[in-house]
Amino acid sequence: MPFFIHILFVISNWIPSMLSHNVIFGKGKIFHFGPMGVAIISSYGIVITLKSTGSFALAFLVGLVCALLISAVFAWLSVKLEPDALGVITLAMHIAILNIAINWTSLTRGALGIPGVPRLSFFSSNTTLSITMAVVAVLWIIFMLYLDRSSFGRQISALAEHEWYAKSIGISKIKINLIAFFIYALGMTIVAFFSMQYLTILHPNDFMFPAFIFYITCELAGKPGSVLGVTLAIVLLTILKEGLRFMPIPTGLTGPLELIIFGVILFVAVWWRRDSVFPNTRSV
Amino acid sequence: MQLIFNALIAGSLAALIAGGLSLVYGTLGVFNMALGQMVLFGGYITWFLHIQMEIPLLMSICGGALFGALLAWFTFEVFVNPFYKRHRFLPLVTTIALSMILDGLILIIFKSSPKGILQGLKNSVEIFGAIISTEQIALIAFTILILCSFAYVLHSTSIGRKIRAVVQHPQAAMSLGIRSPQLHRLIFISSGVLASFGGIFIGIDQNLSPVLGFPITIKAYAAIIAGGRGHFWGAIICAYLIALIEQLVVGIPLLPGGNYIPAGYQHSVALFFIIVFLIFKPTGLFCSRLRTA
Amino acid sequence: MNKLATIALFAIILSSCTGEPAGEEGADSTEPIKIGFIGPLTGDAAAFGSDAINGAKIAVEEINAEGGINGRQISIIAEDARCTGGDAVSAAQKLINIDKVDVIAGGQCSGETLAAAPVAEAAQIVIMSAVSSSPDITNAGDFVFRVYPSDALKGAALANYFDSKGYTKIAMISENTDFCIGVQNVISESTAKSGGEMVFNELVEPGTKDYRSLMTRLKDIDFDVFLVNSQSDSTGGAMVQQMRELGMENEIVGTDTLDSITLGQVMGEAMEGVKVLSVPSLSASDPKGGPFVQKFTEKYGNAQQSTFFAALSYESIRVLIDVMNKVGTDGPAMRDALYGHTGYDSIVGTITFDEFGDVEGIPYALKEFQDGELVEVERIPLN
Repeated sequence: MPFFIHILFVISNWIPSMLSHNVIFGKGKIFHFGPMGVAIISSYGIVITLKSTGSFALAFLVGLVCALLISAVFAWLSVKLEPDALGVITLAMHIAILNIAINWTSLTRGALGIPGVPRLSFFSSNTTLSITMAVVAVLWIIFMLYLDRSSFGRQISALAEHEWYAKSIGISKIKINLIAFFIYALGMTIVAFFSMQYLTILHPNDFMFPAFIFYITCELAGKPGSVLGVTLAIVLLTILKEGLRFMPIPTGLTGPLELIIFGVILFVAVWWRRDSVFPNTRSV
Repeated sequence: MQLIFNALIAGSLAALIAGGLSLVYGTLGVFNMALGQMVLFGGYITWFLHIQMEIPLLMSICGGALFGALLAWFTFEVFVNPFYKRHRFLPLVTTIALSMILDGLILIIFKSSPKGILQGLKNSVEIFGAIISTEQIALIAFTILILCSFAYVLHSTSIGRKIRAVVQHPQAAMSLGIRSPQLHRLIFISSGVLASFGGIFIGIDQNLSPVLGFPITIKAYAAIIAGGRGHFWGAIICAYLIALIEQLVVGIPLLPGGNYIPAGYQHSVALFFIIVFLIFKPTGLFCSRLRTA
Repeated sequence: MNKLATIALFAIILSSCTGEPAGEEGADSTEPIKIGFIGPLTGDAAAFGSDAINGAKIAVEEINAEGGINGRQISIIAEDARCTGGDAVSAAQKLINIDKVDVIAGGQCSGETLAAAPVAEAAQIVIMSAVSSSPDITNAGDFVFRVYPSDALKGAALANYFDSKGYTKIAMISENTDFCIGVQNVISESTAKSGGEMVFNELVEPGTKDYRSLMTRLKDIDFDVFLVNSQSDSTGGAMVQQMRELGMENEIVGTDTLDSITLGQVMGEAMEGVKVLSVPSLSASDPKGGPFVQKFTEKYGNAQQSTFFAALSYESIRVLIDVMNKVGTDGPAMRDALYGHTGYDSIVGTITFDEFGDVEGIPYALKEFQDGELVEVERIPLN
């Protein structure tokens, strides 16, 4: 039972951030490869504030503001650059932000990480924390579904399909992108708020490239742009990732073999989805 | 002076890896995220041939390069070809998958301890007040040789002209009867060979360990993006430039008061380079203007 | 329709993969005793993880060959935590709640141990780390122990050595990992206290292989000794090599990450004369540690990172088994027995634990690379 609670938390923890990233990447076809950058900034914002003031509300606010600021930068970049360049630059920014976090030791303790993150007293047991997270996740899914069908959802799809025509009917790219990135910042801050309390330690190693790979895998496997599809992908892939621990692999090969298996799964997911990931735009 | 030599050494390594990649990016527009692992594999295979099987160095190098070509061919057929026709970014994800698979394989086959292709201390000579070893001189010379022969092929042979045509305008090239798909294959394989040479360079000059994969990829892409899409020489020059800036950042007091920038930011130089470039000059330093008419 | 098929497929695959059936209580006296292992089996720290699990496996095999504990065999279940906190929590959750292990040997990276600690505390299961060095672990919990000597001891030993040689100007390059930062802080403090001076104290990104420009700067500085504070032998070896290539002949001292036979082989004469601060008794010819080193090299070849880490892992398992022999597998009983241990005689020293669960009693020795081999030169007292 406790393991199920743990898995429930892990799955629910991915949902807000990934679904909002899905709006940007899957629906809007904006190659935002730096979600981890936002994650780092909001996580450190939350934890540092929490440890120095002890106020959870303030910590959430600080984390949110930091995330919004960096997301605004990303949004501006997304309007200015073409997709290729945006992909590379956001990735570079993720790594640069990680570098700064590790090197700015007076603020972040560098590579030592920040242990001993306190939990809200309501969350003192894993069960309440996980269930709360799950409820938040479900609410977020409903929010995303609503967004999908709203005029905002239509506008961002229009921009993705054909930018010129969309602009000609008055859709402002910068406004739509800003909204999308801000929603993402909110989702990410919520995720960071909960996950920092669950782990009780903030360690830079959790924000490296493999975390981003999981983002891409879930979004591609679950049909980019589709809320329920990506949710399902998150559930299944998390179960699969943890499920790999159960496979009877000889101890000497455990790590590398799991890595290889996951790589193969990613490849299969892309193969299966190769026609629907980036559909050809209708030119007439 | 020593710093310039250091930059030459580091830059040659980066140039080798970035050179072939720039052609791939220029023609296919694909990102090969498994590049770092291909570099490592080339180096590891050479190490295996030279140290484990005791084959003479030159033949081991050829063996490593051959393996690099084969690996690139395999990568192209399975991970790139079926995908890049649909969209340029699909191979990005498939090559990420490939990089994970290769990483796992490297860990299983070669384990994680460091491997050096040439054992022991190198013989150093002093030139212009800076110290450099004979092996490093050989490596730099070798790199320049390879790059020059590449240049010769690109500019003075018919295959080179075809490649340049495909870079400039794929459709026009096809309408002239140039078989783009085959050229794509050839370009990809040559980028694999160059990558293997890069790995051999690392194995001789420093040592090989499995974690080097991803940072190499990032640095190579920094050079390419800064150099401009499809511009072979742009990428090479930017590779040397980034290396020079990295050495200077650490070696010269740039901060007020004679202080040095903390060495931990050395690698961030490449990243800031990309970021600044892309914001102000998204097409890179030396963009080849596409003539549309 | 597609989605339904996918779900069905995954369900089938997963159900066929499930290993140990959950819920089997270990009350049966012939059931194997399960030890959980958490470590970085992939990722940047894979070398540590590999040495640690191999060292642990040797310990388990030896005990099983001797009949196990009270007739019960021991099995070890390894989980990959990739040196991240999130994965360590998942690993701990699975080991404790699904595999129902009696004790956890892990994590190796400090981030892993710190993340897994709360889970083990809540379940009242002893968790012992072989290699984690972060100072934060001292306060991580009642059930948290480690056999890796605290960095404070390392700093004290090095300061003693420098004092004895009259070195006052220290140069050091550290990799920016939690493992090395601890050492860096301690060395800076102890140098200041003993009246010396850190003339060169740079922090580099983990995995840096190109130290040439830093070495160029170092050449113009007057220093007595250079301290290699690297995370791994491959980066530390690069530091040494590039320093010698630039012609600097000063004395070089390394921490235990340089205690690697591979380094002597790969770097050859570059390592000649380089001193390493590590524990004694870890060469094949030594009466205490020799048998372990021989067994390890036979089964697994040279250590990926260092035989020292493999030996620590080996001894951490043996201490746990020693305690289990005396008090059984109950968590709180094991914890009390560990705190009250009068001294376990291991191949790295006599092990006891202080009130925080940190190890005491592991002495330091200075070794030197001579002709590619590591030879013990002197013992370093801690006061």
